Amino acid sequence: MIPIAYNLRSLAVRRTTTLASVLGIGLVVFVLAGALMLSAGIKQTLGRSGKSDIAIVLRKGSDAEMASSIESPTLGLILSAPGVKKDASGSPLGIGELLIVATMDKIGVDGVSNVQIRGVPEQVGRFRKGLQIVDGRAAQPGTDEVIIGQRLRGRFKGLDLGQSFDLRKNRPAKVVGVFAYEGSSHESEIWADIDTVRQAFGRAGLFSSVRVQLSSPSQFDAFEAVIEGDKALGLDALREDRYYEKQSEGTSIFVTGLGVVIAVIFSIGAMIGAMITMYASIASRSREIGTLRALGFSRPAIMISFLLEALALALSGGLLGIALSLCLGTVRFSMMNFASWSEIVFSFSPTPGILLSALVFAGLMGLFGGLFPALRATRISPLSAMRD
Amino acid sequence: MNSSPQASPSGSDRGAASDIAEHARPTTAESIISLRGVRKTYFRGKEPIHVLQDLDLEVPVGGYEALMGPSGSGKSTLLNLIAGLDRPSAGSLLVAGADLGAMSDSQLARWRANTIGFIFQAYNLMPVLTAVENVELPLLLTKLSASERKRRAQTALRIVGLEDRMHHYPRQLSGGQEQRVAIARAIVNDPQVLVADEPTGDLDRQSADEILTLLERMNRELHKTIIMVTHDPAAAERAHITRRLNKGQLI
Amino acid sequence: MRLSSLSVRNVWRNRLRALLTVLGIAVAIVAFVLLRTVLSAWTVGAEASAKDRLGTRNKVTFVVPLPKRYIETIRQVPGVVDASYASWFGGKDPRHENEFFASMAVETKTLFSVFDELVVPPADRERWLNNRKGALVGDVLAKKLGWKVGDTVTLQGSIYPGDWQFQIEGIYSSTRKVVDRSSFFFHWDYLNDSLPEGSPQRDRIGWVTTRIRDPLQAGAISQAIDRAFDEQEIQTLTMSERAMNLSFLGMVSAVLKAIDLVSLVILFIMMLILGNTIAMSTRERTREFGVMRAIGFLPHHIALAVLIEAIVIGGLGGGLGLVLSYPLVERGMGRFIEENMGSFFPYFRISEGTAVAALVLALLLGLSAGLLPAYRAARLNVIDSLRRAG
Ligand SMILES: Nc1ncnc2c1ncn2[C@@H]1O[C@H](COP(=O)(O)OP(=O)(O)O)[C@@H](O)[C@H]1O
Ligand SMILES: [Mg+2]
Repeated sequence: MIPIAYNLRSLAVRRTTTLASVLGIGLVVFVLAGALMLSAGIKQTLGRSGKSDIAIVLRKGSDAEMASSIESPTLGLILSAPGVKKDASGSPLGIGELLIVATMDKIGVDGVSNVQIRGVPEQVGRFRKGLQIVDGRAAQPGTDEVIIGQRLRGRFKGLDLGQSFDLRKNRPAKVVGVFAYEGSSHESEIWADIDTVRQAFGRAGLFSSVRVQLSSPSQFDAFEAVIEGDKALGLDALREDRYYEKQSEGTSIFVTGLGVVIAVIFSIGAMIGAMITMYASIASRSREIGTLRALGFSRPAIMISFLLEALALALSGGLLGIALSLCLGTVRFSMMNFASWSEIVFSFSPTPGILLSALVFAGLMGLFGGLFPALRATRISPLSAMRD
Repeated sequence: MNSSPQASPSGSDRGAASDIAEHARPTTAESIISLRGVRKTYFRGKEPIHVLQDLDLEVPVGGYEALMGPSGSGKSTLLNLIAGLDRPSAGSLLVAGADLGAMSDSQLARWRANTIGFIFQAYNLMPVLTAVENVELPLLLTKLSASERKRRAQTALRIVGLEDRMHHYPRQLSGGQEQRVAIARAIVNDPQVLVADEPTGDLDRQSADEILTLLERMNRELHKTIIMVTHDPAAAERAHITRRLNKGQLI
Repeated sequence: MRLSSLSVRNVWRNRLRALLTVLGIAVAIVAFVLLRTVLSAWTVGAEASAKDRLGTRNKVTFVVPLPKRYIETIRQVPGVVDASYASWFGGKDPRHENEFFASMAVETKTLFSVFDELVVPPADRERWLNNRKGALVGDVLAKKLGWKVGDTVTLQGSIYPGDWQFQIEGIYSSTRKVVDRSSFFFHWDYLNDSLPEGSPQRDRIGWVTTRIRDPLQAGAISQAIDRAFDEQEIQTLTMSERAMNLSFLGMVSAVLKAIDLVSLVILFIMMLILGNTIAMSTRERTREFGVMRAIGFLPHHIALAVLIEAIVIGGLGGGLGLVLSYPLVERGMGRFIEENMGSFFPYFRISEGTAVAALVLALLLGLSAGLLPAYRAARLNVIDSLRRAG
């Protein structure tokens, strides 16, 4: 076999061309990996919000909590359904919440955006164990104090520790704490006392959703059967993870779709770039190649040698692209979630799978881009070693 | 896009003459090329390479001189100096009335366009241009009209006997024919001096003889002064004088 | 012959490479046009919004509706020609669970005077106005779900729970291209009267759309409307249709910015492909440049020749890319998107601005990709380049 060092050295000799191709392929990989990372980030953020042993109950036909309403008395009925886990004292683990979308002024850019306000009952911590105050303190129940998710911080007017914003005219809510919630989409929400939200938004006696802790994930079917069996209630039960999966579908399909379409179009461009480089590399070495053939190297050996050269070119580009895309790790990407019409902050989440597939993608670009040039190289006759 | 360069005139129309006159100085009436104490030193890193050393050379108007010498003796370097492609490290260099050492790059370029015709060993025709277009190329630097340029190019091709190959591309011509096109290109501007660096180096005997005959005609009939570098004794024989260069010195 | 024809012929000298390069740029241009069209499809709504229309909704949240009596107050505000209210219904056809379309209860008698772009055959219009359970649907939606005039359809409500029956009485199209032709309109009275006495949803309206006499007064009239409810329980937020659309854009601004960024990356990739080709072909022609310089051509002639070559390739790639974009982006993807994502992208077409920008950018990129190679070629040492083989 022809030593790979031969190819590497020839790539190094054609420095500018090589660099241009590597950069081109790198950018393609960057865009692809970026889109996949964002899509994964969306799924993760919304996915972390959902667990398989929690069931969420909504008004039948509602796709989102925001569009759902459940009368207060129904809460008791739902909590008494089979499959609901009970705590040490024997009371069922469940929570009724009211979700409202409020219009707030953005900071930095002109304009308004929608933020979700979650009205939670006093003993919210009993059910929502992932809640963690990272700054300030918890809100006093029964007051107009609120806590905000850490990803909201500093993005809207009035939404930072110690500041306040209007729930309605002459009814300011004060931000007393900032919370983290396992990196889930709750970190893009405002949490307030449920009665405050009900009063401020004229939703007396209503919940948006009821969540219950199932004694085990397998209990869901029994729970669902009872909730949906009573047609008069007009309720739907879903596993929470499934619910959030549906929430993220539109947005993540949009991002993945756009990202993949762009990456595919781009990759054609980058492949062409690699092809140009390889053709040039082979054309300027026809004499060398002829000599190699004259020395007795076979056509397959030549073919493999040039495919390896293309692969080396593409993989360096791939690594560059991956390195670039890893820099996105610190970028926070705020985006409207199509399902709730409100903004959620996502991050780019690099998974080993994404990085690997980006690299494989780069390799494939190299192989395809190098195929025709390598084929041409094999057709160079040993005689060209003799010519001029 | 009109990219025909706004350049210097040719033939009778000598717009840049004043430019060149500035650097003119009296020469011996019959010398068109006059070198005094010309030295050329290259540096490879810090180490100086003395390629030409204290050269004196007089070439009369209408002269035809061959330059021989072993490889690396500085023949091409000397030719490049005479043709105004390079500047001497020391000494004075007068060609066709111009003091080349004192001229700027763009002045030299204009001067070359008017004064020097180049003939190379590898012909150096533009592969994308036809024979007549190759010949026309130097005329793009003049203010001549397109039809006049074409007419002159055709005339030059006729002189070298290739009018029937006008629309052929270089790859469709033999080496000898290519070199004849190159000679047509060299004379199309009606320069006073032709410089040829091993013009027959790539040719077989018969083609070489044809080219040498052609050069002879250029000298005799068109009164071109010719300096020709060659390794071929038969070629040198055709010249009026053969000069020998060894290690940067004329012997 | 001219110097420029020398450049043009040099483009075709290495045919395969020129073709690949032109193709590479064309592909990049297609991607660029696609992204720009996504961007302009987002913004087209804002740009083409009616200048003489205002929207009024709950100041704090669009989830909570306004009292119905607000409409009377709004009609009294000076400068208002007419006003029409509507409520978001948010229904779904259970037979088409996954089809999202806008469904809303509207005030029928004012709908056509406020939304004068709606086109309905007069007979359909009469029938719809006279049938309390009648529905008026967009032609794109009707075609997609196979609805015809006279069909009975059942929508499942979520905000207004239950199954709701409607008869399709009319199909609308629009004189303005940016209007969503996938909406489902029905009588607000039907909705309201069906709600139980004492329901908090009764006599509530989602928003009010107002037509004003003088578009220049939009700001003043908006303020006047909001001031009228300042002391009320529920305050309002009134914005021009354009401002409303812009604030929607604000919510997706990060996406828009990302798309913007990616389209810049495309341009950069294009420049790399092009620059690479030009650099290679000029390097291979070093000796020819040396000959030209010897003959008397000046550095700027050489630079010009290289630049023309780059611009020609850029222009060819840009032209080809544009030619490919129309069938791919506009006819292929565009039709699909308009039919399936009509509520977000009612008008997914390549704008003239995008087409011109693509072409101009291809030329400019050709120019800038050629700059470095041109500079290098111009600066070549004549003797060195003559010495160089090939
Ligand atoms: N640019 C340069 N830098 C360094 N050395 C050079 C350069 N050009 C020519 N030389 C040296 O000058 C000598 C004469 O070269 P040249 O005139 O081409 O010789 P000839 O044409 O007689 O074969 C050679 O030894 C060559 O290596
Ligand atoms: Mg030599």
